[in-house]
Amino acid sequence: MTYAFFPGCSLDGAAKDFRRSTLAVAARVGLEIPELKDWICCGSTAAHSTDPLLADALPAKSLAGAGGATVAVACAACYSRLKTANHHIAADAALRARVARVVGRDYDGLTPVRHLLEILVRDIGLQRIAAAIRRPLAGLKVACYYGCLLARPPEITGFDDPENPTLMDRLLETAGATPLEWPHKTECCGASFSITDSSIVLDLSNRILLMAQAAGADCIATACPLCQLNLDMRQKDIEAKSGRRYNLPVFYFTQLLGLAMGCQADELSLDSLVVEPQALLEARGIGR
Amino acid sequence: MTGGMAPSIVEIGSIGGNLALEVGERSGASPMACYQCAKCSSGCPVASRGDLKPHEVVRLVQTNQQETVLASRFIWECTSCQTCTTRCPQKVDLAGIVDALREMSRGRGAVTLSTAVPVFNELFLEAVRERGRVFELGLMVRFKLRTRRFFEDADKAPMMLRKGKLALWAPKIGGKAGRKALFGRAAAGGAK
Repeated sequence: MTYAFFPGCSLDGAAKDFRRSTLAVAARVGLEIPELKDWICCGSTAAHSTDPLLADALPAKSLAGAGGATVAVACAACYSRLKTANHHIAADAALRARVARVVGRDYDGLTPVRHLLEILVRDIGLQRIAAAIRRPLAGLKVACYYGCLLARPPEITGFDDPENPTLMDRLLETAGATPLEWPHKTECCGASFSITDSSIVLDLSNRILLMAQAAGADCIATACPLCQLNLDMRQKDIEAKSGRRYNLPVFYFTQLLGLAMGCQADELSLDSLVVEPQALLEARGIGR
Repeated sequence: MTGGMAPSIVEIGSIGGNLALEVGERSGASPMACYQCAKCSSGCPVASRGDLKPHEVVRLVQTNQQETVLASRFIWECTSCQTCTTRCPQKVDLAGIVDALREMSRGRGAVTLSTAVPVFNELFLEAVRERGRVFELGLMVRFKLRTRRFFEDADKAPMMLRKGKLALWAPKIGGKAGRKALFGRAAAGGAK
């Protein structure tokens, strides 16, 4: 299966490990994801808080270049912006004309956009995933954390149940792990306030870590660079502020899936994780 | 009139005033449809820290309280998580309303001094215009210079470098002149 890959800016920087592990997993399941040519930044929250027209035009410019291919997205924030622009442009002819004047070419809003989780579970299917599992993640209790923007708002993303998504749970269950029932799957981590007001992130991400720990999680699986960074890189700060001890490794779901598929630690950039997972993986006999 | 149960027709303009009309126009949302159930505030991750709660923001929009709502901290502490928009029984797109209020707050010079978000947004979009993609390290440095927060999170850059999470060189993609023109046309509202 072939998709045009929209990696997004973070996968060139702080989420290089998400890119590497995505490519490793894709190779194991025969998923071809050549990079979308000349993609540009989706505009993120900065664009939609500043200028709604620019917020639709930036994704339109990238999506118009896909030439009809289905676009695969890793970052939840990019996914949300691309889907939202499609939703606006496809439904409103006057807006479509304005966006066309801004971008310099017409775009119909119909380029399909899929998140990696949708592609792996729905397009490739769990049977084929199961066939690629070499070292099941037996005994690993995972809190699957989806964050805000994959499932909300459902009218726009059409991803999964907005209150209790299960795509990642089903995927990691197929990889042999034990996904946990827990109530904070779609609570907000604080996102880009990590830079502008970290007190918001320390508060919101603490609630997520606290609930994952209370549910008995060994680790957290994420599908978004900002979620991963906030829960992992700020975990020490959160522990200092809350007086609690978590020591919960925060993986990208592709890293866990890759481990189960027999990928090596360096193919998955496991050494990029700030809360080091080695002790946990050894204790569960994973990755050897 | 026959009895007291006949539905009455309310002119939106007579209650909502200019703020509700403008917010509705900018966002495509329907602030007047809100009946103040406060479900949005129940699920809002930042309701407990804000100077306003989401349902109060909508009520202020309905009653045309421009000064209070445009100068509020809440509109800049909202994380755009979309929980309010998703759960609203009246399908009021609250996250969209907040976006419109941020735009109006900036446009009228009413932004609260307690937020650095507009500065960050401006630098972020400048980076997209110049480079097409965001180079995280460059954006952080510019943000720290502009806000003079040199010591906050001073441990993070070395940590990211050690963990291979920091790209040291900016991505290079062409099309700078085209992007500048695109930003210019967007600022002009995509006019003919």
